[in-house]
Amino acid sequence: MLFNSFGFGIFLIVVFALYWFVFNRKLQQQNLLLMAASYFFYACWDWRFLFLLIFSTLLDYFTGLKMYQAKSQKLRTFWLWLSITINLGFLGVFKYYNFFAASLAAVCANIGIHLNPLTLNVILPVGISFYTFHGLSYVIDVFKGRIKAERNFIDYSLFVSFFPLLVAGPIERATHLLPQVKAPRKFDYQEAINGLRQILWGLFKKAVIADQCADYANLIFANSAHYSGSTLVLGAIFFAFQIYCDFSGYSDMALGIARLFGFELLRNFAFPYFSRDMAEFWRRWHISLSSWFRDYLYIPLGGSKTGTWLKVRNTLIIFLVSGFWHGANWTFIIWGLLNALFILPSILLKTNRNHLEIVAKGKALPTAREFMQMVITFIQVIFAWIFFRADSVTQAFKYIGSIFSKSLFSVPQLDVSREQLLEVILLIITFIIVEWQGRESQYAIEKLTWLRRRGYRLAFYYTLIIVIFLFTGKEQQFIYFQF
Amino acid sequence: MHRFLIKTLTFACAGCLLVLAIALIPGYLVSKLSKFNIKKDDTIVIFGHSHSECAYDDTLIPKLTNLSHSAESYFYTFQKVKKYLSQNPQITTVLIEFSNNQIAPKMDDWTWGYTYMSNMFPQYASFMGVSDFKVLAQHNSKYFMNCIGIAARSNLIKAVSFNYNYTGKTGGYFKIEGTKPLPATNPAGQHIKASPNESTISTTNIQYLRKIIDYCNGMHKNVFLIRSPQHPLYEYRSNEAEFSLIRQRYFSDIKFLDFNNFPLKNDEFADFGHLNYKGAIKYSTYIKQQIMNGMLAPPPTHSVKSFENRQLVTFNH
Repeated sequence: MLFNSFGFGIFLIVVFALYWFVFNRKLQQQNLLLMAASYFFYACWDWRFLFLLIFSTLLDYFTGLKMYQAKSQKLRTFWLWLSITINLGFLGVFKYYNFFAASLAAVCANIGIHLNPLTLNVILPVGISFYTFHGLSYVIDVFKGRIKAERNFIDYSLFVSFFPLLVAGPIERATHLLPQVKAPRKFDYQEAINGLRQILWGLFKKAVIADQCADYANLIFANSAHYSGSTLVLGAIFFAFQIYCDFSGYSDMALGIARLFGFELLRNFAFPYFSRDMAEFWRRWHISLSSWFRDYLYIPLGGSKTGTWLKVRNTLIIFLVSGFWHGANWTFIIWGLLNALFILPSILLKTNRNHLEIVAKGKALPTAREFMQMVITFIQVIFAWIFFRADSVTQAFKYIGSIFSKSLFSVPQLDVSREQLLEVILLIITFIIVEWQGRESQYAIEKLTWLRRRGYRLAFYYTLIIVIFLFTGKEQQFIYFQF
Repeated sequence: MHRFLIKTLTFACAGCLLVLAIALIPGYLVSKLSKFNIKKDDTIVIFGHSHSECAYDDTLIPKLTNLSHSAESYFYTFQKVKKYLSQNPQITTVLIEFSNNQIAPKMDDWTWGYTYMSNMFPQYASFMGVSDFKVLAQHNSKYFMNCIGIAARSNLIKAVSFNYNYTGKTGGYFKIEGTKPLPATNPAGQHIKASPNESTISTTNIQYLRKIIDYCNGMHKNVFLIRSPQHPLYEYRSNEAEFSLIRQRYFSDIKFLDFNNFPLKNDEFADFGHLNYKGAIKYSTYIKQQIMNGMLAPPPTHSVKSFENRQLVTFNH
């Protein structure tokens, strides 16, 4: 059940009506309803993996309690590591086992030992990386004493499985979401309208920009050997917009849906393509994951308050792990490594916190210097995306090799009509303009201050609806569901 | 909450009306203003899929226009036939390609499978009736909704650019140069590659072929079913028994011009199902001759038997 499907629309209306009209008297009833709805939502993907989700929830719930009740630090540490081991064990089996088995076989083959590794024919449970990280953040926070262990199973279960964030985040923290689960919720008109607006924008990003770009990016990456350098650059740009609009569109919808039920989830994107350096980019891209790694990995390793070599080591570790989190493939690991290499100079020169505010705050346009910084950062990001998107490292290198050829300066050529291509390019340009105008808000159309009259704003919303209607093709799976 | 519901519902209703208007108004304009013209002196048209698209070079056959389109099921051909016949009263004779794969279940995919539907539906949505919409909605409701949006976009572009001309966009002779490697010898009697599932046929495609015929009859046109040449190894030939049965049961009132076994060499085929340019010249020249000899004369003056019973000295290898 995709957020951009008709079925999900019906599901959302039914749950919303029950939540505010039938179960609105008692908080526990509301939480129970949301938990049941979330399990139903997850079962629609694959009911068999519902047991895995419930097991993971029970594991962290009980280890949290045990840790809280334990009298000695040794025992608390035992429960923490038990939870971490089992959680990562599941992730390892479902997500990484085949990768490690195949890699080991390849290494052995190089030294003349031929192994026939046993590979598991299992499909990756949707959202496993996300709910595993929810659970881990909870047990670590309980261990560190940042939060008390949750005694109410329904509340804890809702924290893990709340349907807007269940399959692709944002990766929530117990310290942020659990208090909201336990607090009585009153319907807030402004928040609900804000939620609907964010859903609309998310839907536009996903159904119009991401899915249109996906067609071209897929075409170019699938036949990369036959295209000119300029066309391959175009393919990489299309993929950059596809992945941004796909994932941030999903996140906007998740945040908007949560608002309808009185929850505020963590922000996941903050206009990353307007970043002036890679450090800023990583503060604005997939924020809930980068901050998770920062808080639970980078800082425990010593963070940046260490010597130069430790800083380098910690940065490399966090980006390699981040790349590996995305998938069991060398392409993701190289993508992580590249990002680490791009960000390291600013960390070593201590310029990584130069750009904390959004670019050109309070101004209409950036300065020429800011513009150039944004362009250079975008080029670095695109370069790394090639590895992220490619099927293999070999394909990525060939892709890059073909870009840097004479044909880089030719006119891009695709097997589609010029009108179709122009249509998508115009959509992307319009999208960039709207994002730029709204860059000081939580999401681009939150305030629409550049449209002063209410009538204009209404016309804008209706235009979005019409464009979504006209451009919605076949529903494409959200990219991050595979992680 | 009350305020939220009222405002949201009002906004949603207005949005739905707007979307409906965007979908219907350009669609109506396209349906009224679209042009499906063929040459004034062309009186014979042929409809079908890629087999006929590649077989009939209409520059070689006087008075004939090839309107075949690859991967077109009869469902979409029906919409096309309605427009061409109503806008071109000079048409006297309609040839409809009827070959083995057109009874196969893959025709269902050509009708409501997303890839084909998203390509063909926007082109012909404006000319469809309620029953046609029902067929698509019943079989693939999910993607049918998506295709409505695609069709609305296509119609909107036509309306905005005042481009209602369909001529040349609905098919025509398709020239294929060269050939795929095919067996060097005549493989008569050899085992045919694949055997389609005998228990499944595309009933929708057969029903729509009947609709096309009935429509043509209603417009008082001479209708013929025609089978263009297929390579002896063509996989769908294996359903010949079923094919004959369907033809006899449902289309016995329509003359069947069968050129299935028209003698062609391997290098005259692009692949097992399609003629290349060389084959098309040979076959089209023959068809021209046959038309001049009265092959398409109105009944009962000329009786056409299957091709294998005819003697073709000129084309023997």
